[in-house]
Amino acid sequence: MSETVIKAENISKLYQLGSIGSGSLRRDMQQWWHSHITNRDTETSESKDKIWALRHVNFELRQGEAFGIIGHNGAGKSTFLKILSRIIKPTEGRILGKGKISSLLEVGTGFHPELTGRENIFISGHMLGMSKREIVKKFDEIVDFSGVETFLDTPVKRYSSGMYVRLAFSVAAHLEPDILVVDEVLAVGDAEFQKKCLGKMNDATHQNGRTIIFVSHNLQAIGNLCSKAMWLKNGEVAANGHVKEVTTSYLQTLHTNSWSKKFEDINEAPGNDSIRVLSVDLIPQLAHHDAVFDIRTPMLVKFSFKTMIPITKMTVDLLLFNASGECVFDIPSNQLTIQEEFVNAECSIPGNFLNDGAYYFSLYFVEDTSKELFTYNECLSFEIADYREETNWYGKWWGSVRPNFPLTLTPATSLSAVIK
Amino acid sequence: MIESAKWEWEITSKTSWFVNLKELYFYKDLLLSQTRKDFLGAYQQTLLGPLWVLIQPLLTVGIFVVVFNNILGVKTDGYPPILFNLMGVTLWTLFSEVFTNTSRTFTQNAAVFSKVYFPRIIVALSALLLQFILFGIQLLLLGSVFAYYVITKQIIFHASSLPLALVAIVVTSGIAFGAGLIFSVLTAKYRDLTSLSQLLTKLLMFVTPVFFSLAVVPQKAVAYVMINPLSPMFELFRAAFSGDYHGSLSGIGFSVMFMVVIVTSGILLFNKMGDKLLDVL
Repeated sequence: MSETVIKAENISKLYQLGSIGSGSLRRDMQQWWHSHITNRDTETSESKDKIWALRHVNFELRQGEAFGIIGHNGAGKSTFLKILSRIIKPTEGRILGKGKISSLLEVGTGFHPELTGRENIFISGHMLGMSKREIVKKFDEIVDFSGVETFLDTPVKRYSSGMYVRLAFSVAAHLEPDILVVDEVLAVGDAEFQKKCLGKMNDATHQNGRTIIFVSHNLQAIGNLCSKAMWLKNGEVAANGHVKEVTTSYLQTLHTNSWSKKFEDINEAPGNDSIRVLSVDLIPQLAHHDAVFDIRTPMLVKFSFKTMIPITKMTVDLLLFNASGECVFDIPSNQLTIQEEFVNAECSIPGNFLNDGAYYFSLYFVEDTSKELFTYNECLSFEIADYREETNWYGKWWGSVRPNFPLTLTPATSLSAVIK
Repeated sequence: MIESAKWEWEITSKTSWFVNLKELYFYKDLLLSQTRKDFLGAYQQTLLGPLWVLIQPLLTVGIFVVVFNNILGVKTDGYPPILFNLMGVTLWTLFSEVFTNTSRTFTQNAAVFSKVYFPRIIVALSALLLQFILFGIQLLLLGSVFAYYVITKQIIFHASSLPLALVAIVVTSGIAFGAGLIFSVLTAKYRDLTSLSQLLTKLLMFVTPVFFSLAVVPQKAVAYVMINPLSPMFELFRAAFSGDYHGSLSGIGFSVMFMVVIVTSGILLFNKMGDKLLDVL
């Protein structure tokens, strides 16, 4: 059994809110005066501005293990990586380790845009803790891996963003630490390069016995690369253990609950003198109780409203936008001529239709095909998780939609069988 | 569970006052590469490139000669005005550049510091090294101007006092470095101190014998000029070329003591606060 190479005991980090960044000398002096001279108790006012970004994080890793860290934005993942990378100090607790540890929190740290690729390989390499001899030895390998040899003597500010990232990652990929800490850097670069990077990381753990600590939103990549995982939730460990169990429980809390907005008081409800929206719901039609809401899941969108005045030939459009604000679809309802009434609306969206990602719905109320009554922007935001059966490709799947239309390949015997 | 025999490193909440020399040695290549990067980076896509290192003191001296010597009639202690001012300006440039660049350590490198760990003092040391290189180039200029006046027999050369210049250079840059380290910590936390430090550097030049010599200072004001630990060093620097020192020996002792204290406290403060500062950067 391989030995334990890193052990975190009770890691906690307290951050002070408010005054951070304002850097006011006066305030600090006042605080000091109160706590040291007048002995006035400032605890009550202080505790409000303080937040535990991490609380009692414990884990242990053996040599050659790959460890994934997942969690929402602001769950403490980055704080944790920064402590592990010795950038910031923990408020409490300690981490014990063996062997050389290197971190890769950003691609291209220390790159100087005015200088050439060649210069930057050295600058970045040194910054990541490589010696001159090490870089010289691996120089050709680094250049080869990056595939930018023709531009080696061009300032990197003239590189395309893809080339920049490739060069930067190549330097980092040739670090040979015993423990490698990697933040979400694989979210960049093209498909082929991503595959290369993950392959390199996979080799590092499985062949060279390196320990990897990897933070990502990409559960697919975590699932494929890591054997163990930890789920951070509001700075605390929500789950820690086998990767499959941790990612599944994480996905469940993320997606099984339905998205729902209800407005009981009509006067407070979103709307105006003609329309008041009373509720909006998104209900994933999960196949069974512990299923996960992903691209395969059909959804039901329900909403209700009240017309405050009689409206003739009213229609409602259900619009879906993706995270970048592009309209994915616009579904108009049937026409209705009504008095002051309550109305229920329902639309079902099939599974295997939308791509993974973040989306939001808007509602658009129209009288007589052209007169706008009310627009309810971003009435419901949600996220669809990715799902892939068997694939070596972990990058973002292209396209707004992701239908499951069969595309079949059939080998043919001759030219005439192909061109008829 | 196998309890591992020995841990090699530990991360805790403790911060240290002292520099970890072993670690510093491990990152020696980074020190040189940072200096190289700053030097190369500064002169990419420029018209005159490193020539600016010489243009800057020459222009300053030109203006000083016109304003202070020709218009205001400040005496130059028997030196040709150009040489006199060039000596002051060369040493002053070393002081103000070392101080300014060191004091920016945290504010200018916040982005890098928040993404990768290395001993932060490397950045300050590489700034110091770069300034020494630039100062060396300016010293060559000063040397040639000095040689011109010696050859044309306008001044006499005293080789024996030349090593005094080294003392002046080490003490001046030491004070600048130490004060720079202290200000780098202060300005990281309180941004408004940046403008204060800029203002102070500008004003300090007027109470330092840069464009005047102690010999022209009225007797009752000498004490005020000598409170400034830089004053004896500027006198000493000029004396290295002429053999004429106007200050007292105790003045030199004061400067050296001041340097030792400020460098030590600068390094201690920098190390102790450096890790905590990342929380507020």
